Amino acid sequence: MVRAIKGTLVECDPSIKSIIIAIDSEKNDYIIEDLDESHLLIKDVMVQRLKEMLEERLKETVPIVENDSDSDADVK
Amino acid sequence: MPPKKRKASANVAGAAKSGRASAASTPGPATPRDIDSSDDPGSPDEPAEDEEQIQKAVDRFSLAAYQDKSKRGPIDAASRYFGDNGKRDFSYLPLKPDSKSRPIWIDPQRGRIILENFSALAEQAKDFLITVAEPLSRPTFLHEYSLTPHSLYAAVSVGLQPQDIVNTLDRFSKTPLPESIVSFIRSCASSYGKVKLVIKDTKYFVESNDAEVLQKLLKDPVIGPCRVQGTDTVTSAPSMGGLVIPGTSNAAGVQQAQLRQGQQSENAQPEADEKPQPENPFDALREDDDDDNQEAVHAFEILDTSVEIVQKRCLDIQYPMLEEYDFRNDDRNANLEIDLRPATQIRSYQEKSLSKMFGNGRAKSGIIVLPCGAGKTLVGITAACTIKKGTIVLCTSTMSAHQWRQEFLKWSNIGPQDIAVFTADSKQKFPGNTGIIVTTYPMVTQSGKRAYDSQKMMDFLTGREWGLMLLDEVHVVPANIFRKVSHSIKSHAKLGLTATLLREDDKIQDLNFLIGPKLYEANWMELSEQGHIAKVQCAEVWCPMTTEFYDEYLRTKDRGLKQNLYVMNPAKIQACQFLIDYHENRGDKIIVFSDNVYALIHVAKALGRLFICGSTPNSERMDVLDNFMHNPLVKTVFLSKIGDTSLDLPEATCLIQISSHYGSRRQEAQRLGRILRAKRRSDEGFNAFFYSLVSKDTAEMYYSTKRQAFLVDQGYSFKVITQLAGMDKMENLTFKTPKDRRELLQKVIVDTEAKRPLEDGDPTDDLFYTAGGRRKKRGVRRTAGTLGELSGGQDMAYIEQRKGANKALKKKPGKSAFFKKIGREKQRMKDLATQEE
Repeated sequence: MVRAIKGTLVECDPSIKSIIIAIDSEKNDYIIEDLDESHLLIKDVMVQRLKEMLEERLKETVPIVENDSDSDADVK
Repeated sequence: MPPKKRKASANVAGAAKSGRASAASTPGPATPRDIDSSDDPGSPDEPAEDEEQIQKAVDRFSLAAYQDKSKRGPIDAASRYFGDNGKRDFSYLPLKPDSKSRPIWIDPQRGRIILENFSALAEQAKDFLITVAEPLSRPTFLHEYSLTPHSLYAAVSVGLQPQDIVNTLDRFSKTPLPESIVSFIRSCASSYGKVKLVIKDTKYFVESNDAEVLQKLLKDPVIGPCRVQGTDTVTSAPSMGGLVIPGTSNAAGVQQAQLRQGQQSENAQPEADEKPQPENPFDALREDDDDDNQEAVHAFEILDTSVEIVQKRCLDIQYPMLEEYDFRNDDRNANLEIDLRPATQIRSYQEKSLSKMFGNGRAKSGIIVLPCGAGKTLVGITAACTIKKGTIVLCTSTMSAHQWRQEFLKWSNIGPQDIAVFTADSKQKFPGNTGIIVTTYPMVTQSGKRAYDSQKMMDFLTGREWGLMLLDEVHVVPANIFRKVSHSIKSHAKLGLTATLLREDDKIQDLNFLIGPKLYEANWMELSEQGHIAKVQCAEVWCPMTTEFYDEYLRTKDRGLKQNLYVMNPAKIQACQFLIDYHENRGDKIIVFSDNVYALIHVAKALGRLFICGSTPNSERMDVLDNFMHNPLVKTVFLSKIGDTSLDLPEATCLIQISSHYGSRRQEAQRLGRILRAKRRSDEGFNAFFYSLVSKDTAEMYYSTKRQAFLVDQGYSFKVITQLAGMDKMENLTFKTPKDRRELLQKVIVDTEAKRPLEDGDPTDDLFYTAGGRRKKRGVRRTAGTLGELSGGQDMAYIEQRKGANKALKKKPGKSAFFKKIGREKQRMKDLATQEE
C-alpha cells in the first residue's frame, strides 16, 4: 500500500539547510527528502515548529546587533 | 570652622577615598546624573555637609542639572515610541517659523547637536560647531556633534564669549535654544581658567589667583591629601614671592585673599589694556588669568603621581585645570634654534589644528586627530618649531623613532647634532643646553634594572623641564604607561597625535586628563575630497559558508575551531583569489590582511603569494617588503596584524581583509590607513579599494558590523557584495571540487586539534620586532621501519607542494669573488679588443 505524506518544499541557503539538517538530526521528524544544495522537502505539519526552532538557532549562532544603542547612549 | 572640616576629611582612609573618587568621575563630566543616585555612598565618618556640597557642584556641572523637569514625560499617545518611555519625545520644543532653512537641532537633554549637512548654511554651521563641540559622526547627510565641557573650554580659550556661542547656536537652530543648553554653556564658560597647573623647577603646582578657590580645593577630600605636606616652608621661598599656602595660616590667608580678590577685580580691566602688545584681539577679552606676574598667585605643590587624580577631581567639582604653557615668556628654559624650512608649506587643515593648539598665543596640551597619511608628523614638527624649546618625542618603535628624526631634519632647519635618538642601540645627547630627543615608549617606561648608560640617559630626561612632549600614536599605549611617562618626564605642553582616538576598552577618557582634551579632529571625507588622502571604495564581501564547513561549524563547540572554520571558508579563499586576480590585472598592488596566522600561511601558500607574519625572520621581511615595493612581478603580499600600524607602503592601492581581531574598530581604521597614501591613480573617482571578506551566517558578520562603526562615523559607506560576478568562470580557482573542500576541512580540523603553536597569534604588533629564540627544537621521534625506507628503496620521492612563495625570493648564491674577478677581466679584454677594431 502506498503511504502519502504531505510535504512542503523549502528553498534556502546552503548554510540554513545545514541548520535544518542539524535540527532534524535529533529525532529525524522534519525532513522527508533532502533534494539538493538548496532544497528540502519538509513535513507539512512540522513547518511551523521548524520555523520557531530555526529562529532560535539563528539567535544562538549569530549574536544580534543591538540596534543603534550607541546613538541613544548618554554622552560619555 | 574650616580647619576642623579639613581634618575630618583627612581622617578618612586613603583606599576608601580613591575608590570614591573614581566612582564619582567615571560617568564623565557631561553625563546626566541623578541627584539621589547612590553613586556616592561615601564613608559614614565623612561630614555630610561637605558631601552634599560636592555633590551639588558635580551636578551643577553636568547638563542634567539644567533640565526643565516639568516638561518631561509622555505628551501624547505616540510618545512612548520615542525611546525610554517618551523621554525622548521633543515635540514640545516649538519650531521657529523659518526652521526649514536653519541647519541644526539641539537635544536639550544630552547636548547632542544634529546638523543637516545638505542645508545651505551647513558650511558656516560646521565651521562654528567644530570650535564649540566635538564631532561624533559625520556621514554624508546628517552630522552629529556633542557639546562637552572640554569642547566649551576649548572654545572659550580661543576667545569666544559665552554670549557669542549662545547667539550663534540660536541663529542656526531650528528651535529656540533650550534653557538647559544656555545655562550649561554659561556655567562651563565661567568656570574656565580659574585654576592652573604649572610646572616650576620640575615640580607640579596648582595655582590660582583666587585663594578661596584653592581653599576649596584643599578642603576637597580627594585633592587635599594629594598636596605635598612638606612644602609649606619650601614654597614660601623668595622665588615665589606673594605665595600663600592655605592650610598653614588658614584664617589669615583667606582674609588676605579676599582683600586681593577685591583689588583684582578692580584691576583686571586696566591691566589687560596696559598689556604692551596683545597677541591677538581675543587676549584682551580673556579672563584675568594673564596677569599672574603682577598679581599675587596662590599655589600649592602636589605629588607627581597624583596629578591625574587632581585634574579629574577638579573637573568634577567645576574647576577645570588649565594647562597652558606661556612659552614666549619663559626665560628659564633655553630657546632652541629651530624653524621650518622656507619651502615647507603646511596644509590648511594642519594649520587649523595648530591654531587650536596655540589659539591664545600659548600652548595648550591636547590631542590632534588626523587620518593616517595626512601628515601628522609635520603637525608635530610645526608645533615644536612654534614653541622653540626642548622637545621630547615618544613613538611606538625604534624604526619610527629614526623616521621622526629624519622628518625633523627634512622639514626643519635644526642642526643634526641637536636632535638625538634614545633607543636600545643609540644613546646620544645633544651637546647644547637644549635640543630634541626622540625615543620610544618602552625605553622611558621600562622598569627594573637598566644598563648604566640608559639609566644615565633617563636621569637626564627626568631631571629637566621640557617645553613640549610629542606623543605619537597615543591610542596604542595603555593609560598606565602614560601615567608613568607624564609623572617622570616633566613637560610644559603635551601634544598627542593619532588617527583613531578610540579603544574598545574605553580607556580613552583617561587621555583627557593625562594629555589633554581633543583639540582638533579632521574630517576624513573633506580631506579625501581635497585630495590629501586617497578616495577609498569600501566593500564588504559576503561569502556563503560551504555546506561541509557550516555543518562542522554548527556541530563544534570549540571556539578556536569555529574561528578557523569561518576564516578558512573555501568560498572566502576563492573570493580572495578572484579579487587578487582582478586587481593584479588592473595594476594594483595588494595587501591581504589576516589576523589568523594559520589562515594567513595556508591561504598565502595556496595562492602562491608572499607573506609576512610574526615568526618571519627580519631579513626575510625586508626582502619581501623590498620586492613588494620595487619588483613589478610581486603585486600581492599577505600580512598578519604586525602590518596594522607603523608600516608605510605608499604603493599599496588595494586591501583585502580575510580575518580580523573580533570587533576592533581601531584595527579596521588603521588598516584602511595603509592605503590612504595611495594618491597616484585616480580613475573612476576612486584610487584605492578596501575589501572585507566575511563568512555569512557566522559570528563574523556581527563583528564586521561593529568594526565598521568608526569608519561609518567618518563618512565612509560600505557596499555589500553578495556575489562576485564572474568568479565561477575563473580558471584554476582553488577548492572548486567538493573533494578539495572536504580535504581542506579535514586539514583544518586536524590542525586545530593539534593546536599548532602558530595559532597563538603573533608575538607582537611591531613589524620590526626580531623574533629571537622563539623557534622550538623539534623533538626526536622514534618509529619502526625498514632500512630500505631510509635509503629510498621503497621508491619514495620527496616533492614539496604548495611551498611558500617567500622561498622563491631567496637570492641565488652569488659567484665567489675569484670567479667574479676573472669575469671582469675577461670583459675588459673583450672591450679592449672591440675598441681596437
